[in-house]
Amino acid sequence: MILFDRVTKVYPNQMIALSGLNLHIQPKEFVTIVGSSGAGKSTLIKLLTREEVHSSGKLIVGGLDYDTITPRDVPLVRRRIGVVFQDFKLLPGRRVGENVAFALEVSGAPRREIKRAVPKMLQLVGLASKEGAYPHELSGGERQRVAIARALIRQPKILIADEPTGNLDPKNAWEIIELLLKINRFGTTVLLTTHNKEIVNALKRRVITINRGRIIKDEEQGRYTLEGGK
Amino acid sequence: MLQFWRVLIAGTKNFLRNAWLSTAATAVMTITLTIIVISFISNSALTDTVKGLTDKIVLSVYLRDGITDQQKDLIKNRLQGTGDVQQTVYISKDEAVARYKEKNKNDVVQLEAIEITGNNLPASYEVHLSDRNKLNDVIKVASDTDIKPLLDEKNPVSITGSRKDAIQNIIHGSNFVIQLGLIASLIFLLISTLIIFNTIRMAIFTRRDEIEIMKLVGATKWFIRGPFLFEATLYGVVGAFIATGLAYALLLGSGPKLTYIDVQSTIAFFTTYPALIIGAEILIGTCIGILSSLLAMSRYLKL
Repeated sequence: MILFDRVTKVYPNQMIALSGLNLHIQPKEFVTIVGSSGAGKSTLIKLLTREEVHSSGKLIVGGLDYDTITPRDVPLVRRRIGVVFQDFKLLPGRRVGENVAFALEVSGAPRREIKRAVPKMLQLVGLASKEGAYPHELSGGERQRVAIARALIRQPKILIADEPTGNLDPKNAWEIIELLLKINRFGTTVLLTTHNKEIVNALKRRVITINRGRIIKDEEQGRYTLEGGK
Repeated sequence: MLQFWRVLIAGTKNFLRNAWLSTAATAVMTITLTIIVISFISNSALTDTVKGLTDKIVLSVYLRDGITDQQKDLIKNRLQGTGDVQQTVYISKDEAVARYKEKNKNDVVQLEAIEITGNNLPASYEVHLSDRNKLNDVIKVASDTDIKPLLDEKNPVSITGSRKDAIQNIIHGSNFVIQLGLIASLIFLLISTLIIFNTIRMAIFTRRDEIEIMKLVGATKWFIRGPFLFEATLYGVVGAFIATGLAYALLLGSGPKLTYIDVQSTIAFFTTYPALIIGAEILIGTCIGILSSLLAMSRYLKL
């Protein structure tokens, strides 16, 4: 599903963010990536969403070789991957339903399909009754659910969750993790980055630890072993 | 098609959402387009007026008595050689007397005087001009060294109707107004381009989070840029309608008061081709809007 083959990323200021990284993630896997700030987690995600371009090596996602991507293909690549962020990135002036529908609108989905898909997706994330609410009327956990619904509405094969629980209290954080596990059970590959030690240890899933742009640990049922985890 | 429609809706929403910015941008666009259309009206009306006046201008070039037919032909050819002469009519001495008598038919003293002195009036060429600005070129021919000796030295070249000064003042005045309109149009074109550039720049800044989300969920560059382009186009379209309305009202309102200026044909043009006028204004406004927003996006919207 995702293959990093000796991938290196060097920024224009000569900072090496990833150094010959090798990583293979199978379809339907639930993988947690941990690492201290500046370890290379964000760069890894940015390479996947094509916000950044790798300097060398090979990156293949869902059978698509990123070396063959043209700027015109980038929107199509992003439509194949769902992404949620710590700060939710919702449109404050749009209602919950409109935020979720937005992802379908940009890809040219017909109105009828949007009307059918949005309530179903909101039901999946437990927000069926909040379709008409604005983001500021929701709790942090609910906002993250909206973001997840938006990321999933196009039924991507991969969901990237970049610190999705970073702004949430423990109860809401666990609810989000449970939702991600549920999505994974439906067959979506989930890539989670987090600093939350408790969550990583409780998940008992594959954990990849990155440090200075390299993988230093890759365990099938890993634990959070870094200093300073929450 | 669906995407195009969504871009138009998003652009219209943006236009309405930023009411103050949109109002300012539309106002400056309206001023610009109004100045352009007024400049066009002034140009058209003054050109008609001056043309009407110059059609009546006849230059008289008086000939020395006793010159040969060959010399007369030389003068005629030189006058027509300026290229700005519509027609050259020869008035013989006899015709000149006949005209004099006709003009003074009620003035016994004048009639007696011409009987006593005999025909002292010179023959002449009446020159009808085709270009109002070439008055002096034709007059200059009369001072050429080979022509001057053939002309009557007591009667210099004159403009029939003795309205030379008034006509020349109107010509100079109209040229000035036309140039002023052109310069004002250019200045306001620049100002509106800068203001719309700034409006779109601020809109991009205000919507930077939205743009980031659009990129994130896989919006194409066209889908992100389209609403900004359409928003700027709307400034042009709305401005064009208001400007045309204002100009038409101004033309109708001031037309009857401008007794010395011929605005009738301009009003007729406006009334006959309103769609053409609005279309041209929309085209100019749209071009300004698109150019400004493209400039702003190339600088501030990195996708």
